[in-house]
Amino acid sequence: MVYRRKKYHYGDTHLRKKYRTKRRTKDLDQIDEDIKPENAEKLIDQEVDLDKPGSAQFYCVHCARYFINDQALHDHFRTKVHKRRLKALELEPYTIEESVRAAGLGSFKEPQKRKITTQPEKEEVSAKKQKTD
Amino acid sequence: MRIETCYFCSCKIYPGHGIQFVRNDCKIFRFCRSKCHSAFKRKKNPRKTKWTKAYRKAAGKELQVDPSFEFEKRRNMPMKYDRQTWTRAIDAIKKVEEIKGKRSNHYIMQRLRKGRELEDEHDVKEVQRDLALIRSPAAGLKERKAAEANAEDMQESSDEEEDDDMVVEDGGVVYL
Repeated sequence: MVYRRKKYHYGDTHLRKKYRTKRRTKDLDQIDEDIKPENAEKLIDQEVDLDKPGSAQFYCVHCARYFINDQALHDHFRTKVHKRRLKALELEPYTIEESVRAAGLGSFKEPQKRKITTQPEKEEVSAKKQKTD
Repeated sequence: MRIETCYFCSCKIYPGHGIQFVRNDCKIFRFCRSKCHSAFKRKKNPRKTKWTKAYRKAAGKELQVDPSFEFEKRRNMPMKYDRQTWTRAIDAIKKVEEIKGKRSNHYIMQRLRKGRELEDEHDVKEVQRDLALIRSPAAGLKERKAAEANAEDMQESSDEEEDDDMVVEDGGVVYL
């Protein structure tokens, strides 16, 4: 038996690491669920969790990321990564339901466009929460 | 046993084929082959990948909205076997498939016909613009010039005759 002599996957360690399941972040359709106002409120104003960066007090809903402080969070809002994410969320993301519809189980539904803006300030959210309580 | 659909390309997955990924929110992503699985791992968007059904639907390449798509349903209730319902269901499936196939083929043909029309229009425009490539603008120039010269000669001679007769009238003869 002849064994393969040439290495075909040389130098792709960074890719393999990137696509590991342990490095998976939230998918766009999960974030789509998160940006609904009732869910977003909960995520922006979270309980203190010492295991999370910044004790889970500075969370960006659209990018599903924790930041260490308010400054870092606000700097992040001005970055390209964040703006790109807002742009990507403008169109309703692809879901399992859409894949089933494309297979011929139900009619096609046009994905809707909507306006996505950066999340409200944490103070606003918590104030609103207190008011309703 | 069930025939599933692929998350990425929306094709059928028969038992014993493909792989599935269960996300940490219990959503199950099924893939028909490693091609679809690796595309998913690379976070490709099926709506933008040309070989998927999602792309073909989103881009309007295939029939999108039709009542024939509403027949097929996924039911989670087990049914007790009954020969009559089974045969009726099979007949209905065949009929629906036939109608669905006809309609989607018709849709595609109509779409292609539109392209053909546009192509014809474009061709006509191109010919009109570049007519000089087909027929030289100088074609027949010599004959036309000769004809003109001939006409002038004739006119001159006729003018002379008129002078002799002392008849004052307008030019009279017009040559093209």
